Amino acid sequence: MAVDAFFDGLSIAIGPEALLWLTVGLLLGIVLGALPGIGSPVGMAIVLPLTLPLESTMALILLIAIYSGAMFGGSIAAILINAPGTESAAATTLDGYPMSKNGLAKNALAIATTASALNGFLAAIILLLISPVLIQVVLAFGSPEYFLLAILGISLITIVTQGSIVKGLVAGALGFMISTIGTGILSPRPRYTFGQFGLYDGIDFVAALIGMFAFAEMMKLAAKSQIAEADVSLGGSIKEGVRTVFKYPKTTVKSGLIGMGIGMIPGSGATTSTFVAYAEEARSSAKDGRFGEGDPRGVIAPEAANNPTVSGSLIPTLSFGIPGSGSTAVLLGGILMHGLQPGPVLFDEQLQITYALFISLFLGNVLILAVGLTVIPYASRLTELDTNVIIPAVVVLSFAGAYTLNQNWFDVMAVVVLGVLGFYMVQYNYSVIAFVLGIVLGPIAEENFFRSLQISGGDYAIFVDPLNRPLSFLLSVLILLILVGPFLKPYLERKIDRV
Amino acid sequence: MSTKERFDGVTAEQVMLLALIGLSAVFLIEPIVQDYPADARVFPQMMAGVVFVGCVLLLIQDYLPGPLRTFVAEDMSVTTADDSILDDQEETVEEEETTTEERPPRLGEEYGYGVNDTVFMVVMSVLYLAAGWAAGFLFVTLPFVWAYTTWFRIRWYVGLGLAVFATAIVWFFMEFLILPFDQGEIFDFSPFLPFVLEALWFVSPELAGSVAAVRARVI
Repeated sequence: MAVDAFFDGLSIAIGPEALLWLTVGLLLGIVLGALPGIGSPVGMAIVLPLTLPLESTMALILLIAIYSGAMFGGSIAAILINAPGTESAAATTLDGYPMSKNGLAKNALAIATTASALNGFLAAIILLLISPVLIQVVLAFGSPEYFLLAILGISLITIVTQGSIVKGLVAGALGFMISTIGTGILSPRPRYTFGQFGLYDGIDFVAALIGMFAFAEMMKLAAKSQIAEADVSLGGSIKEGVRTVFKYPKTTVKSGLIGMGIGMIPGSGATTSTFVAYAEEARSSAKDGRFGEGDPRGVIAPEAANNPTVSGSLIPTLSFGIPGSGSTAVLLGGILMHGLQPGPVLFDEQLQITYALFISLFLGNVLILAVGLTVIPYASRLTELDTNVIIPAVVVLSFAGAYTLNQNWFDVMAVVVLGVLGFYMVQYNYSVIAFVLGIVLGPIAEENFFRSLQISGGDYAIFVDPLNRPLSFLLSVLILLILVGPFLKPYLERKIDRV
Repeated sequence: MSTKERFDGVTAEQVMLLALIGLSAVFLIEPIVQDYPADARVFPQMMAGVVFVGCVLLLIQDYLPGPLRTFVAEDMSVTTADDSILDDQEETVEEEETTTEERPPRLGEEYGYGVNDTVFMVVMSVLYLAAGWAAGFLFVTLPFVWAYTTWFRIRWYVGLGLAVFATAIVWFFMEFLILPFDQGEIFDFSPFLPFVLEALWFVSPELAGSVAAVRARVI
């Protein structure tokens, strides 16, 4: 069955329509990623409502292509003007910008393109190879496990992202809370609508995504009043840059594996993976490295890690509905918006869609290499765009997009309200991803919570029963360990030292 | 202590936490007042409980006893382990970023109105939303983008081009996704739209021709 699904997926992915959306998405992603302050989650959130008329697989291919393209595009601004287009490109600035200042901008951009595409390519192959194992894991999950998995996802995010655990939990619970506005899931009764007909369908999670990512990001951009106008000179050689990547195969492969591994952890995302890959490279090459002064390995490591993070983060997103990053949270929004359910169905009845996405990712990385190396000579033009030109355009698209979802003004208002909330949440280290995850997963978590209680006849022990539901028990223990672990760690270390 | 001094110490985070406490209280009380059935009540109340307790703890964190305070206030991140290697380099990057940042004067500053850029952006967006709701996005997009770019002293032709482009996007939304962006909840200017297109004919017959062709194809 998996083989049939693979070939079905292949025929979808290499079809003319899929290739068209893949190319459009990649180009759009590169442009959006290269614009400081936009990046992949913002770009994907704006485009999400526009995918409504598209067939679901095509819409997801477009979104994944934007994600992949933005990963590469983010490095353009990072290398040329020291302002990462995406957060994931922040680590690239450390050596990419010094390389640019040393007259090697083309080398740095070619390194970023090649390392990014090469590892994205390898990660897509790994993803295809491990998917049969994933199917078995996913099928072992029932209602209690799904509920606990949603809680585990938020718990993981609280310790992976910056800030206190309480802040993370508040953000996640707030998201869950907001998701309950509207008609109840089990008994069709309006909740928290206060007589407003427009709230009967609740706040659309896509509008929430647009608010938390696009509008909040524009507020941040306006606050910075950063104008990306700089003297950009494109010196160096593209060929030499490509060759440099092959000079350091160990760095390339190791960073790619780090990227994919970290991508699989919910909440960690490409920002974490790129910095970990950079730090590991700086540590292992400490003897001969000139990190921070334009060492090419300082560009290879983060760039080789960022695209495999996309593949890695697709694993928890598609198999369990737990996004690994802001961008995969938007992607999850897209999956749900198009009527698909992450989990067993995507790995069973709709396996061909999953394979089509993986194959598109593979093809996308081939395109990144071709397109990326071609656009390098023109890359500097993108970075010269004034951010005050970007802001009103994004606001117009965000509002029009939010209204498109349900033709409901409450969704547009939610963009502004949640955008302002998101802005302050970021400022005070509250996890926006935990909040978004709460909103997106809220209905799924609530439904599985009640289904679990129905199975157990209202007994909460179903979540911690080691004999009948060992997986639930394991997940509950994991949640507890994740939340309490960081506080027990110093105490246990002291105890071990004494012994 | 004067009222002003008392409010000077209040941070935006505290205001946000107070708002969230109020919101979670509504989520806790409303199901009781409106007598929601159990399956509609338990989950939101559970989550509102977490938000309420969490926000109260965060608000009073300075007055909490030692271990509890650590739990509430301390940053716990498994990704901070590698910071030692990166700290110095990140500092240099930030220094460079601040030196390259330049802020040209805003239009209002000429007339003595110094408005914070973020506040301006939010206020303009809210006005745009309100005007869009009242009169339809199609008619208010052009003045919104034009006013925004003029405030930030973007070159007039760039601002005008962007405003026309943004209006065209709204128009495409309206035509292709059949959205009533030409009708507001208070004002309905849609009957005047054919006259606008006719007026466009005088400005640019080619552009008006292509607009008409697209409209004919869609409709």
